[in-house]
Amino acid sequence: MAVHQKRYVLVIDSRKCIDCKACVVACRAENSVPLGESRNWINEERRGEWPKLLAAFEPEQCHHCESPACVRVCPTGASYQRPDGIVAVNEAECVGCRYCIIACPFDARFFREDKGVVEKCDFCAHRVDCGELPACVETCPSKVRVFGDINDPSGKVRELLEKRRYRTRKPEAGTGPQIYYLL
Amino acid sequence: MKHPEWGYLIIVYLFLGGLSAGAFFVSALATLLQRNGDTPAYTRVARLGAMLAPWPVIIGSTLLIFDLGRWYHFWKLFMHFRWTSPMSIGSWLLIAFTLITLAYLWAWLSAEEREKAFFRLPRYLASLNRDFSAHRRQIALLGMPVSIGVGIYTGVLLGAVQSRPFWNTNLVAQMFLFSALSSGCAAVTLLLAFRRKDYDACSFQLLYTLDICLLALEFFIVVPYIVHGELSVQAVKDSLALILGGPFTVIFWLFFLGLGLLLPLVIEAFETLPAWMSQAGAVHYRTSVAAVTALLVLAGGFLLRYIFVFAGQMSAFR
Amino acid sequence: MDRRKFLKWTAGGAAGAAVVTSAAHFAPLLHKEKVAAASRLEIPTTCEMCVNKCSVVAVVENGIIRKLNPNPESPRSRGMLCARGNAGIQQVYDRSRIKKPLIRAGERGEGKWRPATWDEAWDFTAQKLSAAKEKYGPQGTLWSSTESFQEVFFKNLGMAFGSPNIVRHPTLCLASVNLAYSLTFGTVPSFDVLNAKYIIMSGANRLESFITPDTMDLIDSTMERKARLIYLDPRFTVTAAKADEWYPIKPGTDLAFMLAMMNVIIGEKRYAKEFVADYTVGFDQLAEHVKSFAPEWAEQETEIPARDIARIAREFSDAAPRAIYYAGRRSSWYREDFQTRRAQAILNAIVGNWDRQGGMVPNGKLALGELAVFPWDDPVAPRVDEMDKNFPLAAKGDGAYLKLRENVLAATPYPVKAWMVCKQDPMNALPDQARTIAMMQQMDFIGVIDVQMSDTAWYADVIFPESTYLERQDPVEVMSGLYPVVVYRQPVIKPLHDTKSTLEIVQGLAKRLKLSQYFDFTMDQYVDAQVKELPLEAPLEYLKKHGMYVAPGFPKYGGTLTAEHRFVTKSGKIELFSERLQESGNDPLPVYHPPAQPPAGSFRLILGRKAYFTHGNSTNNPWLNAFAPENRIWLHPKTADSLGVNDGDLVEAASTVGAVRLKATVTQEIRPDCVFMLHGYGKKSKWQRLAGAGASDAQLLETAWDKVSGNAALHETFVKVRKV
Repeated sequence: MAVHQKRYVLVIDSRKCIDCKACVVACRAENSVPLGESRNWINEERRGEWPKLLAAFEPEQCHHCESPACVRVCPTGASYQRPDGIVAVNEAECVGCRYCIIACPFDARFFREDKGVVEKCDFCAHRVDCGELPACVETCPSKVRVFGDINDPSGKVRELLEKRRYRTRKPEAGTGPQIYYLL
Repeated sequence: MKHPEWGYLIIVYLFLGGLSAGAFFVSALATLLQRNGDTPAYTRVARLGAMLAPWPVIIGSTLLIFDLGRWYHFWKLFMHFRWTSPMSIGSWLLIAFTLITLAYLWAWLSAEEREKAFFRLPRYLASLNRDFSAHRRQIALLGMPVSIGVGIYTGVLLGAVQSRPFWNTNLVAQMFLFSALSSGCAAVTLLLAFRRKDYDACSFQLLYTLDICLLALEFFIVVPYIVHGELSVQAVKDSLALILGGPFTVIFWLFFLGLGLLLPLVIEAFETLPAWMSQAGAVHYRTSVAAVTALLVLAGGFLLRYIFVFAGQMSAFR
Repeated sequence: MDRRKFLKWTAGGAAGAAVVTSAAHFAPLLHKEKVAAASRLEIPTTCEMCVNKCSVVAVVENGIIRKLNPNPESPRSRGMLCARGNAGIQQVYDRSRIKKPLIRAGERGEGKWRPATWDEAWDFTAQKLSAAKEKYGPQGTLWSSTESFQEVFFKNLGMAFGSPNIVRHPTLCLASVNLAYSLTFGTVPSFDVLNAKYIIMSGANRLESFITPDTMDLIDSTMERKARLIYLDPRFTVTAAKADEWYPIKPGTDLAFMLAMMNVIIGEKRYAKEFVADYTVGFDQLAEHVKSFAPEWAEQETEIPARDIARIAREFSDAAPRAIYYAGRRSSWYREDFQTRRAQAILNAIVGNWDRQGGMVPNGKLALGELAVFPWDDPVAPRVDEMDKNFPLAAKGDGAYLKLRENVLAATPYPVKAWMVCKQDPMNALPDQARTIAMMQQMDFIGVIDVQMSDTAWYADVIFPESTYLERQDPVEVMSGLYPVVVYRQPVIKPLHDTKSTLEIVQGLAKRLKLSQYFDFTMDQYVDAQVKELPLEAPLEYLKKHGMYVAPGFPKYGGTLTAEHRFVTKSGKIELFSERLQESGNDPLPVYHPPAQPPAGSFRLILGRKAYFTHGNSTNNPWLNAFAPENRIWLHPKTADSLGVNDGDLVEAASTVGAVRLKATVTQEIRPDCVFMLHGYGKKSKWQRLAGAGASDAQLLETAWDKVSGNAALHETFVKVRKV
């Protein structure tokens, strides 16, 4: 049995997203995110003219990119990427220069006034390391999100990405985002 | 971005850092061009630049430290050296540069000035009162690349951010460099203009000539920045809209490019032209004009950073 | 300084720096391990943020509830927890919770309170209730409540006290749809949305207004299993956005749509002939009745193209028995709602989807034990809302809230002067708020049991603070449906404040009212008696460990499709034609009355909900408030143009009973003849975070109710809108 390097990614089926905000609240509870900021959010698109209307919802958070700009620009290495792909912030080393916030093409990071450091989604690394799912994935009523190891040949992620077409957000920014949106 | 993360503290620091870099560069250039003390003009320029250089960068760096989320952790920046982070490289450059400018300032102090400085301090420190004046050229030579580094890295800081299309061009580094050097030039000119009794035409000639070159170089970087940007990908084109009809249009074209770059360039050319045309070299430079021109250049340097810091944070890949 | 010293210094400094940095790098990991070692409990319990009662696991660290996780063991909630469920933590730690009993110190509605001891609050309340009983008889007291696991104790107290006037929330919500299905099938079934292939929904904005297991199933069936969803709503909701076909139906004309569908299905012989013959009565009368309701006629009424109505009818019957016309929940729309829901039930019946996979399924049952309690005498006096006379077919135990209010205000047939409210906010739940306030003002006494200061509590005389659902043990309940589950609720932390459970509050009152013998038990004893019958070795331990007991062998289909089965109806069969309705003077088959249209310059006000904001339980929750801090009135661009209103302008909406001011949203997502407001804003209580934000629809809505069930009719109000 070949041992491969895990690489966690998120696969999202936006058709199923109904903007119920369960993921936002679950994340807030799990990670003690203060009101006014959010580690994840729902993008909304509404257009059309009565009665031909469209409303679509797309959840988003840190994309844990292949070559994360935020990690590259961090002067202290507080922003780092784990071997399994999760990009996280080591708060002890963060000086709060906010360069990473500016470097992120997805506006996934935010500054914590109360702590003086930068914060963002870390795929609930503390849960993942115990074999659990990130809070947003677990709680979703519509089961929009599939979290897993893209390098696992028998995993659900691989199955979906091999069967379905998908896109990523802002690929032209060149960071290699790892949230796959099924089409 | 939802709201700008970097604001006035950063803008002012970028300006002051560039100013110090430019002042040092001008002074170092003057020092190196000098031949065995036969051009007092160069000495004057060099000394003024040396006296000025440390202070803007020290003030700017202090502002920078207080802009941090946890300013008391600023020392962590010096626990790491990360090649990929312009900010990391910049922090190290800044500290090296600051030390060099202080050493350089010390080298340009006269013996009496050094005595006066040590007069206040306790006796046992008197041994530290060394005479560096012999090493002016060495320090100037050592410091020039560092000052260029400081001048250029502020541009790299912005230019290396791939997600901000307004910044992500390899021209930004040069734009900031030449703006910094020209600001340094202007600052020394301003100081010179106020010291009426030290008036010396050659000093002004040197500074004006240098500044004309720098401003011209800066102009010929701004032009391709806009032209190539307009011919680039959609995100870059959209970001340029900020200065082509967007909220920063007037401030860019009228105040920065017009009043802050082209007008002083023209004035300086006008002032210097007679000197270059005639072989005599004895032209009278009007100090009031010099002061106004210098102020325009300084304002232009500030505005360039103001525009770039804010407009850049408003630009994005949609 | 020489070179050697310099090198030593820098080397030493670098080494020091390395040590410092590595220590700093590992520090956060060390901290996390410390927390893991400290006390961390995972306690399963049952959510109370809405009626669905999903199963949750509470993560408690060092005595503080950190997170609520879904419990994957539940076949109902299936490992999901919605935004409200997750936000339950905020209800516990809410600073504006009621922390001890309060007694009013100023005028009603002034908001002046003085803290009281429990004895004071109980003494005062019992004294007032007894005084009312003296003067007006026990029927002079009103006991109103909204469903909760401990509601039974509150209701029992009212009944033991001798009052017939128990009124509950279904009469503001789903009484009409429940009655319609009960009269047709003898029971209210569940809908097997997951396995259905063709689903029609009128309103029932299941993907936006409320997150239930049906929400999950609807997404799964339509998006994974390729079921088709047809959705009718005057508003472009999230469900409309996800549906295969959405029709902006003219409000109040759903019955016409259903009658036309039946016309096509029966006319083209597409109904389930065997099923109809074996299990229903009244088909011939039905066939005759729907002969005249052609799709072309329905197009005139509904503004849905006739060919689409006919096609949908054909597709619906083709997909049967895996075709359902989903009943929905809140059916408090129109005065004719009961008959509309009857038509829906009949439509479901004639395609034969009863008790089939992908159709309607009678709820699976589970027997629970019961603690033997001292029986009380039935109340002597008749109900004040005269259910027998006004709504003889409706569920008597729930009452008819609006008729009740009218009678109380008119003091007929007798005065009602004391009001006990349990976990309910009638000030906002009832239409025509001015009349609710009048009803409150004429009361000698108002007592409220609640967790937070609702608008009704704001106007009360005594408030009994209840412990939140995470702080108490409740009676066990069977959540019936396709997957019956016995759910257990246990405290995950001790009550933070001086609060009590409803049972304890009731027991305190009972003692003083000399009714202790009816409540002489502890919650432990009550629960023990309930779970004794479960097929488990140690039922209570099992429930404490799992939070639920899942009955094996479900879902079951076809159990009632036998010759021997007798439906709980007059004829023993499914009643397409209802003699009971005929006997009570109502239409035995649904008769269509075109709804009144708003006069020129007026618009029909329709209401709706947002899942993270619906219900009083969650309107004062900071985590949820952040998503919708105010409501606005939706105007179609044509409407806005005609009124000269721009997006964000302040407008005044006025009906015959009240006027409110709020900002306008100009949107394409509403019909030009309607306006829309989200329910639950314009709160008066100053302890509510959103007090004064937006406007209360209760102030605008006129009193109207469904003729047969007494259910409130909340979409019958026309409003004028003007810019201010």
